[in-house]
Amino acid sequence: MNGNCGAAAMFAAALCFSLHGAAGEEVPRNAQTCVACHGPGGNSTDPAMPSLAGQPAQFISLQLFMFREGNRKDPQMSPIASSLSNADMNELAAYFSRQKPAAASHETTSENAAAGRRLAEQHHCVQCHGPALLGLQHIPRLAGQQFAYLRAQLRGFKARTRADFDGNMTSAAELLSEKDVEILADYLSGLTPRRD
Amino acid sequence: MSPAPFRSVISLACALVCVLTAAAAQAQTPAAPAAPPSWQQGRNAEQEKSPLHPFAIEVTGKSAKELPVDKLKVPEGFKVEVWADGLPGARSMALGSKGTVFVGTRQLKDVYAVVDRGGKREVKTLLKGLESPNGVAFSRGTLYVAEHHRITRYDGIESRLDNPPEAKVVVEGLDPQNQPGHFWKFLALGPDGKLYYNVGAPGNIVMPAYFQASISRVDPRTGIIENYAQGVRNSVGFDWHPQTKQLWFTNHGRDWLGDESPNDTLHVATRKGQNFGYPYCHQGDTLDPEFGKNRSCSEFTPPALKLGAHIAPIGMRFYTGKMFPAEYQNNIFIAMRGSWNRSIKQGYNVTRVIFDAEGKPKMEPFLTGFLVDEKADPPMWGRPNDVMVMHDGSLLVSDDQNGIIYRVSYGTK
Repeated sequence: MNGNCGAAAMFAAALCFSLHGAAGEEVPRNAQTCVACHGPGGNSTDPAMPSLAGQPAQFISLQLFMFREGNRKDPQMSPIASSLSNADMNELAAYFSRQKPAAASHETTSENAAAGRRLAEQHHCVQCHGPALLGLQHIPRLAGQQFAYLRAQLRGFKARTRADFDGNMTSAAELLSEKDVEILADYLSGLTPRRD
Repeated sequence: MSPAPFRSVISLACALVCVLTAAAAQAQTPAAPAAPPSWQQGRNAEQEKSPLHPFAIEVTGKSAKELPVDKLKVPEGFKVEVWADGLPGARSMALGSKGTVFVGTRQLKDVYAVVDRGGKREVKTLLKGLESPNGVAFSRGTLYVAEHHRITRYDGIESRLDNPPEAKVVVEGLDPQNQPGHFWKFLALGPDGKLYYNVGAPGNIVMPAYFQASISRVDPRTGIIENYAQGVRNSVGFDWHPQTKQLWFTNHGRDWLGDESPNDTLHVATRKGQNFGYPYCHQGDTLDPEFGKNRSCSEFTPPALKLGAHIAPIGMRFYTGKMFPAEYQNNIFIAMRGSWNRSIKQGYNVTRVIFDAEGKPKMEPFLTGFLVDEKADPPMWGRPNDVMVMHDGSLLVSDDQNGIIYRVSYGTK
């Protein structure tokens, strides 16, 4: 990911943001660093920065693990993850998975809404990410995720530069054209990120 | 069966390099397409829409406090408890002569050592940065570790748990193609003093190379390898019968032939050189729809017992301890880690195999409670991976889903 949130800005922002946990819920200390870029309660407002709210806990802990172990690399996430213990990761994962995803801010073009649905069907996205693309277990929610982030991940899988836990996405993204990537990211980003 | 992490990326990258190097004259040609992940290989067109998928482990582990361990059940008179947690990805176990429990991992890069200190277990990450160090074996003070590509030894390990020696190579080059597939290894020391290990099939249902889909052995003194059993799709658990000294092993059958076919199996190799059927014949009596054409199952050695379709038997050991009732002597315990490749799930237990007066095996569940809802995704909260008899006769069970080891004892309050 290529977020535009620098380290200095991140820590400054951490002081300003209020933490939006569920009512009465204790917010993990480490989460303050996360929300500086990923947004209050893990709802990002930066198109390049992924939302964490409502992501499956196992997905979050797996990504943190991959950043710490060096499989997945990112100038901001790698140093942050390097000091987290397994227990820290599980705590953050549990916290953000409990947060309610904000409504999608991205508006899909009408053309891509139909084309994106077709592509998602054709490339079997729903087989792993779930019928409403809300994710499960170690597989992320795509519905309502930030557009530029989704596009960057798909490009990374296609270029074989994005760490892949099980080879599934490297194989799936290989078949996508650059235009397909653009359409899918536009389509997925505009979907409702929750069931209600 | 489930895919190795990161491995495919590495091998795909390698494949890319190879293609570009070998075909420099055709540099404009795009890279070879990525193979489907090995768990998807062999699906028909309709199955491409199947929601069935392997389950990923919790790579950061789970604390036993967060899990319904009180739901675990064992037969009357037995007791099950959490022995140690905080071992993410815990799989194969080996027991040191001083009581250290060594634990390998497949999707991590670590080998753990667990030491009992006055009833409290201390977990140490003994070795780091290894390539899928699934196999561990212990003999005469030495820990042997099987990685993807090599088997190594660590001498005098139990007195050097905080300062382990450098690895000495027993044999390397075991994964020359560096491709995705069933290439994590189980490792055990045979009664002949040789190290036995598996090299699985490179995909779900494909023609293996001569050294694949087999169990081999290497003499740790000479490094000389012999192929011992062939036609074995993927065996990640074996042991020798305490009396006959014959090799018994579990085997994973192929996927995507339906909920009831084929069975995963338990085998006995009565001699070196037998072929157990893969990829031609499954479970001793079912020809493969593709590879079985013009073949006969009578060519191959049938299994000793069918264990259930897709139930994923991993570790197995004969019970030789003094703690359990006498009728458990020389029974087999098998850790069932699946199933995922069937719509109604089964397994997720430790099964006991009993031999009748004629030596015919039958099975019954021994440790259950991991499976919660056979139709849910996921259906379970934990997955037994290996079993091991301790010096006191209790049975340890590893759970790689959560990174926990349980202990089953008998006659304790």
